[in-house]
Amino acid sequence: MITLKGIYKYYDSKFQRTFVLKDIDLEISEGEFVTIMGPSGAGKSTLLNIIGMLDEPSEGEYHFLDQPAHQLSEKKKVEFHRNFVGFIFQAFHLIDEMTVYENIETPLIYKGVKSGIRKGMVAEMLDRFNIVAKKDLFPAQLSGGQQQLAGIARAVVGKPKLLLADEPTGNLHSGQGKQIMELLSQLNSEGITIIQVTHNEEFARFGKRIIRISDGLVLSDDIVSDTNEPN
Amino acid sequence: MINSLKLTFRRLFRTGEHTTTRIISLIAGLAFGILLLSEVLYYYSFDSFYPDANRIYVVHENVRMDKSSDKMESYPRVSGAIAPGLKSEVPGIEAATRLNSIGTSVFYTEDKKSYEADFSLADECLFDVLPMPIISGNPKEILKKPMTCLVSTKVAKDIGGEVSGKIIELKKYPGKKLTIAGVFEELPENTNYKYDVLISMVSTSQFFSYDGTSNWMGNDRYYAAVKLAPGVDPKTLEHAVREMQVKHQDIEKMEQQMGGTVLKYSFIPIKKMYSEGAKDMILILTTIAFAVLFVSFMNYILLTLSALIKRAKSSAIHKACGAEARNLQQLIFSETFVLFFISLVAALILIWVIKPLAEAQVGHKLISVINPQVIWPLLSLMILLLALTSYLPGRFFSRIPVSSAFRNYNQKKNKWKLGLLSLQFAGASYILTILVVVSMQYNNLITADHGYNTEGIYYGETQGVEAGKISTLLNELRTVPGIEKVGLGHSLPIDGASGNGVFSSGREKELFNVADFYYIDENYLSILNIPVTEGESFSHGNSVVNDLLISKKGAEKLKVFNGWQNVVGEQVDISAHGISTIRGVFPDFIVKSITEPDLRPSVFYYYPAEKFEQIRADSPSFMFYVLIKTSKTAGSGMLKKITDIFNQFLPYRDALVKNLSIEQKAGYQSAQGFRNAMIAGNIVILLITVIGLLGYTSNEAARRCKELAIRRISGANLPDILRIFILDLEYVAIPAVLLGITGTWFTVSKWMQNFANKVPLHWGIFVGSSLFILLLVAFIAAVNYTRTANRNPVEALRYE
Repeated sequence: MITLKGIYKYYDSKFQRTFVLKDIDLEISEGEFVTIMGPSGAGKSTLLNIIGMLDEPSEGEYHFLDQPAHQLSEKKKVEFHRNFVGFIFQAFHLIDEMTVYENIETPLIYKGVKSGIRKGMVAEMLDRFNIVAKKDLFPAQLSGGQQQLAGIARAVVGKPKLLLADEPTGNLHSGQGKQIMELLSQLNSEGITIIQVTHNEEFARFGKRIIRISDGLVLSDDIVSDTNEPN
Repeated sequence: MINSLKLTFRRLFRTGEHTTTRIISLIAGLAFGILLLSEVLYYYSFDSFYPDANRIYVVHENVRMDKSSDKMESYPRVSGAIAPGLKSEVPGIEAATRLNSIGTSVFYTEDKKSYEADFSLADECLFDVLPMPIISGNPKEILKKPMTCLVSTKVAKDIGGEVSGKIIELKKYPGKKLTIAGVFEELPENTNYKYDVLISMVSTSQFFSYDGTSNWMGNDRYYAAVKLAPGVDPKTLEHAVREMQVKHQDIEKMEQQMGGTVLKYSFIPIKKMYSEGAKDMILILTTIAFAVLFVSFMNYILLTLSALIKRAKSSAIHKACGAEARNLQQLIFSETFVLFFISLVAALILIWVIKPLAEAQVGHKLISVINPQVIWPLLSLMILLLALTSYLPGRFFSRIPVSSAFRNYNQKKNKWKLGLLSLQFAGASYILTILVVVSMQYNNLITADHGYNTEGIYYGETQGVEAGKISTLLNELRTVPGIEKVGLGHSLPIDGASGNGVFSSGREKELFNVADFYYIDENYLSILNIPVTEGESFSHGNSVVNDLLISKKGAEKLKVFNGWQNVVGEQVDISAHGISTIRGVFPDFIVKSITEPDLRPSVFYYYPAEKFEQIRADSPSFMFYVLIKTSKTAGSGMLKKITDIFNQFLPYRDALVKNLSIEQKAGYQSAQGFRNAMIAGNIVILLITVIGLLGYTSNEAARRCKELAIRRISGANLPDILRIFILDLEYVAIPAVLLGITGTWFTVSKWMQNFANKVPLHWGIFVGSSLFILLLVAFIAAVNYTRTANRNPVEALRYE
């Protein structure tokens, strides 16, 4: 599903070139649940943004669903966002002036889903994530956990093949974090490929594969053994 | 779209969006810009309401007055026979008409009620060229029949009921009874030639002592208009017009005598006539309007972009949800549309609120600008502004890189903001300096010495006062305490004067033209405090009817032409008067106004009071004024006292007495209106600039609060910090202000060409205005940055 070959990301300033990612080679198959770990500034989020086509590599090739993503036009990338990719953020990033319902509905509007069908799809999400009662509230009126539930609902309402989660539990307390991770596991078991970035070792093991990076380099790429799976 | 609008309304008054500020800025800019631009477009809309207006031309007479000059003066008035002559002798002219104005006059109906209207004589072809809808009557028949008239719907409404068959009588022309035979739709205000009552041209001899309707030369007081056949270019008519002149005017002989072209006719498109005469005003008003709109919209864009930076994450979220660039642009367009619409409605309400003030300045009803020639261009401009103001922020918003938006987009450089701000500074300094110059020029006009006294002087029209009662009226006035002197005069310096030619001996040639004030009595000059510097002034015992006083300039010309050492006692031949004896010379004074001075020499002829009475008895329409000089201690209420006395001698008690000083100032109303427009424009631009500056400095303070805190921690005190931040702004402001005042220099230099008497463009004006703007910038920045700099640095760092 995802193939990264020799990916570099760097920024040129007047006198020097600062590398964020160096020679990343990576293959991720459909249905995987991958965790990316590493210290702050290691390049985790940049890697996630490149995979999510929100950022472009400086060098290298990136193939997504057998398409050369590094060569895709903006229009094509938008099409991929609409149909195949969902994003979950640490800071939830719900749109403040929209209600929960409207936030979840937004990707469907951009996707061009008709109003009647949209209503059904949003209602299904509200029901599934247990936030029906919150549908008319604005993000500021919700707890962190509730906001993240709404964020996940918004990410998956368009039935993406790939879910990218950038520290999805970073702003939550452990109880809420665990609930979110269980939800992600469930989504993965339903066939959605998930790539998450986290600092949390316990939550990292919800993934089936852990990639550790540091200073822009892949240090290790390990399969999580059953015995290592969280309780 | 509906979703976008819904979100816009929710976002409208969130903190940090500067919504109120942006709306105020737009309202101010739109209200003022629309007002000025609609005025400019109104100038271009003159006479465009006539069907086939593109084929209608006004005939201009181009005359070379001075043999020694090649310059031809152009006037939109011709001799009586020209219009019908063009129709009959120039192929390509489909129809031609002429009008002869009688002016504004009070008129009476048989039931003794009085009204006021603009009267004009017109021939029967009027509606062939300048058609207006006819409500009743056959205009061709009416305008052929002596002493019949057509009235406008407004006059008909004022009179009330069925007006056809009613008899009216002009106050100016007692005893001349006109029968109303038809009604036409009232002319809009945007016309070059306004009339409310049309009198048949064949009635001319009833209103003028001389009937020049058949004249090919002279008596050129007819407004002539022609309608060309479709596809005819007026330039192609030159030959036929020349043929007509050769046939009827003996033009070749005249040209031989004058040594070149002496008289030509040209056709000016009726739609362009007004705007051609108002080119300078159009340039200035358009410049100010666009300066205001520009500053206002730059400010809007500046504040919008500042607000959008705070919403950079929102752009990224939308993109992550699958939004394309056009979706984000649509979002910004919806917001701009809503704010623009609210501002436009508020601006229109504001215009409506200040309508009386605005109408007093522009001199016409604001409703008159609502016509297609004004509305469509304005609407197009509004759409263009809406598109521009939404496009730029929309483009910016849609191009925010997602990855950096999720981090901290706030820390980007802000050169573009400074660029926009500098444009505002340039606009503000431009218009402020213009205001200062215009105000000084206006004060220069109204306080300038016109060469005669106006303080404490009143004048009243004598129309309607019977000849035998004139002397009684004068005696009554003389008995009033506070009235020092009473005199008579045919015309006033503020009205201007007719032109007459001064001839050489034997009338061989015209030496020069004079501004002829016609007749005055022995008190007139002393009332106006015009001294006689050579010879003697008119006096009851020593002067005879038609004795002459001439201005210094005229006396000098006579000396040159005739080789005289002294003009006093000499005889001079002036058209319309014949030979008269010069009794004295007076200094030249401002004839009409400083803005439109009549630079010709001027003359007065002597009539004693009895002669005025005698002429009035012979010709009731002979008009003249009574001039009254009051003492400095006369106190208030003098106008009413004088009016009451006049009313005793008027059957309809409708005396019109005016204060000369007030009327003189009223003559500068357009300059005053322009100055007031400047003041308003300046207030608007300064307001917008202050708003923009407040927005900018608030954003800057927030953006750089970490830097501010670090500087404080590093030992900088408040003055140190203010100096750094204010200097940053002043480096932008100084070149912008220089640019602004350079623009002002060019604009005011052009505008000042309209005045003979100019205020000097001293460098101090430019330096003073520039300093004001720079200090204003420093003050506003100091206020805003002080607030941030005084915060606890630790708090600021934690906040950051």
